[in-house]
Amino acid sequence: MTRILLHSRLDDCLAAWRSAGFTVLAPTRRNELTRFDEVQVASDMELDLVLPERTIKDHFFPQTEPLIRYRIKKQAIDTEEMLPPERKRIFFGVRPCDASGLDIDDSLFGWDYRDDYWFRRRDNSVIVTIACTKADDFCMCTSVQLAPDSTKGSDVMLTTLKDGRGWQVVALTDRGKALVETASSILREEPAEAAAASTVPVKFDLERVTAWLAEPSNFESHFWKEISQRCIGCGSCTFLCPTCHCFDIQDEGDTYSGIRRKNWDSCSFAMFTMHTSGHNPRNTQSTRWRQRIMHKFNYYQGKFGVNSCSGCGRCTRQCPVDMGITETLQEISNLPR
Amino acid sequence: MGIQEQYRNEAAELLSSGAVKLVIGYGEGSTADRRRPVFIRTAEEAGRLVVDANCLANLSSYLVQEGLMSDGKSVAVFLKPDGIRSVNILAAEAQLNPDQVVILGFDIGAGDASPLPGRKASDFTPLIESLKTAGLSPELQHEADRLELMSAAERFDFWKEQFSKCIKCYACRQVCPMCYCRRCIVDVNQPQWVNTSSHTLGNFEWNIVRAYHLAGRCVACGGCDRSCPVNIPLRLINHRMAKEALDAFDHFAGESTDQKPVLATFRQDDPETFIL
Repeated sequence: MTRILLHSRLDDCLAAWRSAGFTVLAPTRRNELTRFDEVQVASDMELDLVLPERTIKDHFFPQTEPLIRYRIKKQAIDTEEMLPPERKRIFFGVRPCDASGLDIDDSLFGWDYRDDYWFRRRDNSVIVTIACTKADDFCMCTSVQLAPDSTKGSDVMLTTLKDGRGWQVVALTDRGKALVETASSILREEPAEAAAASTVPVKFDLERVTAWLAEPSNFESHFWKEISQRCIGCGSCTFLCPTCHCFDIQDEGDTYSGIRRKNWDSCSFAMFTMHTSGHNPRNTQSTRWRQRIMHKFNYYQGKFGVNSCSGCGRCTRQCPVDMGITETLQEISNLPR
Repeated sequence: MGIQEQYRNEAAELLSSGAVKLVIGYGEGSTADRRRPVFIRTAEEAGRLVVDANCLANLSSYLVQEGLMSDGKSVAVFLKPDGIRSVNILAAEAQLNPDQVVILGFDIGAGDASPLPGRKASDFTPLIESLKTAGLSPELQHEADRLELMSAAERFDFWKEQFSKCIKCYACRQVCPMCYCRRCIVDVNQPQWVNTSSHTLGNFEWNIVRAYHLAGRCVACGGCDRSCPVNIPLRLINHRMAKEALDAFDHFAGESTDQKPVLATFRQDDPETFIL
């Protein structure tokens, strides 16, 4: 016997969740863009996508967010923290790669300092993932030790039924179990067979790649210049990445009052490492691209024991000059030893 | 002999004779219909070049990479008419010496690429002059008309919706041959003149600053539009600025290497309709 959510009951399920006080976000296509956004009914959702163009990271670590409001007075500075509201949210129809991305970033945001802006949103969100039954040319989860049905980062896992009537429902965490309970009268218990997960070919040998990256003499390899020659230095790959998490702190206002904000930043930009003196330690695009790869597959691994890539493939899918992690790691894995 | 073979041979010859140090062209991409920029330095590698109807990117932006042309040597580059116009503007704005650029020209029509005669930027002047009156593609004209028919308030809402998607990845700027500033105004941070935040105001600031800087300079290659990861129809805003320059000053960007930049010159018969 398996717990099942039928497509025909999805609207009832959404209604039950909404009446339990949740806001439901799901993949949508609005204003010529696919992204997670608030939905009311099932027909608002775009569940057929391989992946939405934007990641759910946006809803935990927004592109710009206020941190504090400040006012400078004669003898004092008043500050007021601007924490995000504690809103109960369900993310429905997340792909396993995006869910894993959240899990990967938890390490960073909870490391030397617990980032309340991230965790307040994380702790109030339930991730309902749908295992992938289709993939495109850019998907590469299997190359980074994940899979189209990975459960990492998910609270509830939905697996498409073979007969296409709905999904098999498996709660993975306490938060997931509690959520499934709120919809228990809508779910059915019956025998069912799940459809096969999509096939995603392995594109590179991760062990070979990480071993090459770990070799100090390769840091200055000519390879980096060759592979990044066509990189134009935009931030598309970093901003669409489910795990890239770099930010910049900016004060907006005047001398006396304003708002301190946390804005996305990108290691692809020359400004990212520009010193006040004008000296830039990463002064060519090849050194910036190397940083991105090293950070994801060497430094992050060293610090947190996990690679900072969940294999969604957006970096290649959306790159204006057809670069991306896949090509670079493929080339590294094919280098003669 | 097809266009691809013809140009592979020519590229190989240019490199082996030492006429150019580098050929910037297109190669196979990560899927069947994707092309990526390739940098060919030896005759043997010329076989990697691909020329077909999928070669859309305006490669002229690579010509202004820091230091590339400073040794005085020549570079060959695959360009469609829009890219040739970009080279003309870059020359007119003193960003490169057109004598160092060998143009491997081609155009795309009816799903196929065909070669364009000529190798120096000036060889293409009659072709580019003929484009001035060619008008827009029916699709672009249709979209442009739709915007023109809106009231100012509706148009503002349209752009507000579109710009709300912007994430300030600056792909539009980085891919654009006209955005060659070593330090863009939005990156000038002592003080920070333009907010870096990607909120509604910040996104308006960025996109309007860029549109103004491209007025009379954009050649409608569509690079920004194709690169935008959040699908903002940037072609429409840039087209509108180009139309303004054409209507007010009879200026079609990139006609020749000595065309005067429209917003940096003054003629006694310039219209003064903007003076209230």
